[in-house]
Amino acid sequence: MLLSFLRILKFSLQDISRNIWLSIVTVTILILAMLSINTLILLRAISDDAVLAIKEKIDLSLYLKTDAPETTILELKSKINSMDKVRAVKYISKQNALDFFRDKNKNNPEILQAILELGKNPLSPSLVIVPKNVDMIPDLIEELRAIDNDIIESRDFSDNRTLLEKINNITKRINDVGFFIIIIFIVTSLLVVYNSIKVAIYTHKREIEIMRLVGASNAFIYLPFLFSAVIYTFVAVLIMISVSFPLLEIIQPYLEMFFVDYGINIVSYFVDNVWTIFGWQFVGIAFVNVLASYIAVSKYAKV
Amino acid sequence: MIKLIGVNKIYKNKVKVLDDVNLSVKAGEFVSVVGQSGTGKTTLVKILTGEEKVSSGKVWVGDWDITNIGKAEVPYLRRQIGVIFQDFKLLDKKTLGENISFALEVCGKSPSKIKRIVPSVMKIVGLAGKENRYPHEVSGGEQQRAAIARALVHQPKILLADEPTGNLDAINANEIIDLLLKINNFGTTIILVTHNRDVVNGLNRRVVTVDAGKIVSDRAHGKYII
Repeated sequence: MLLSFLRILKFSLQDISRNIWLSIVTVTILILAMLSINTLILLRAISDDAVLAIKEKIDLSLYLKTDAPETTILELKSKINSMDKVRAVKYISKQNALDFFRDKNKNNPEILQAILELGKNPLSPSLVIVPKNVDMIPDLIEELRAIDNDIIESRDFSDNRTLLEKINNITKRINDVGFFIIIIFIVTSLLVVYNSIKVAIYTHKREIEIMRLVGASNAFIYLPFLFSAVIYTFVAVLIMISVSFPLLEIIQPYLEMFFVDYGINIVSYFVDNVWTIFGWQFVGIAFVNVLASYIAVSKYAKV
Repeated sequence: MIKLIGVNKIYKNKVKVLDDVNLSVKAGEFVSVVGQSGTGKTTLVKILTGEEKVSSGKVWVGDWDITNIGKAEVPYLRRQIGVIFQDFKLLDKKTLGENISFALEVCGKSPSKIKRIVPSVMKIVGLAGKENRYPHEVSGGEQQRAAIARALVHQPKILLADEPTGNLDAINANEIIDLLLKINNFGTTIILVTHNRDVVNGLNRRVVTVDAGKIVSDRAHGKYII
């Protein structure tokens, strides 16, 4: 049994090395197929991260009266903080608001000058409320509207609703279209892989017939090709992994520049999910390769 | 050794290639099966190797009724019958030595046995020292010798030779026929399928003539008559 296994492995490795160009072409096609799948995974990861980051940035503001006492503000903050749908509440004092305003308009001297000329801080203190989940925002808005407190001057919810609707629409589209595209990409890649393996085995047509004629059993005819299919996939996945990470390292700074403050990190995404991403690709492509090899060998092993 | 009784072979396109063939070959015989192209000679070889099944009739190889041989049994039949072909059917990517040892490896022979058998059969067929040559590095005659060596490694009781000299010049063809005679002298039954008149007439052995799927002549010391 062990002897047969070792011989089958030997035939497989001999076949790969003695048909080195065919082996290189096959592995290259597998890598290209995986490259297209991984590009799609990458785009999906970026879009998911971007949407998540935008959602994280959604908050609701309660603007308070300029003369509201600090203790009343902190009581209100504490009350809101204890709500189920609230993740965090941040108190922006008048001075904080002014500092933010100045920082935001540091390149606009006219506005800064106007503030100076006023002689006093015209900005209101506020409570910035971060929801636990963006889906909870409509209900949270209703709860915040229901708070009756004299220190509340105004409530700013309207812009978030529009943004939220847009984000939800984008997320829904990404999910619907993305899933469809992923399926098309995967099916196309697997069809390419399937046909490449079939063509590769076609070149072994004569060899398979001869194996049959000299009395080789099915195991000796099929298994070397099935082993080769798994070895090709393994080598392609290894190359893909070793090429992916340097490429991701190169792309990462550009993404950071494009998505400033969004905290998108595709390198860590691939590192965290390395076994899932490449493991499933290995399993899927190896399965298709083995299936294609089995079908192709069957066609020529009828003698 | 080999017995065919009332064998008919009709292909799917309804072409009848063998028509009521009755043939009996004794152990140790050297039989030439002759006839023009398309008369059913190769179909006869294919039936004996399990590559084709008969439409009707019975086929025995030794005590084994191979008329309805199962797919799983075919490899075992082929280990008992050596076959050589006009186009040699060697594996291009394997050396001559590997081609010969391959036939032993696929049926689980031990490495020590392979090491012992391969050089000895290569010596018998006159290929000693050429184990590491690839098929494209040797002549047609040497390729056919390698194919014969591969067929001999299982020490078959029957050797089927389907047009073994078809791709060879006269000198190489004669050498191959001499080699077949030598193997026959060791006791192996030889069935030589050919349409080479000179080869058959030079042998002065049993000749079975096939025409349009029928055996039209069977003579103990025959000549090529068509």
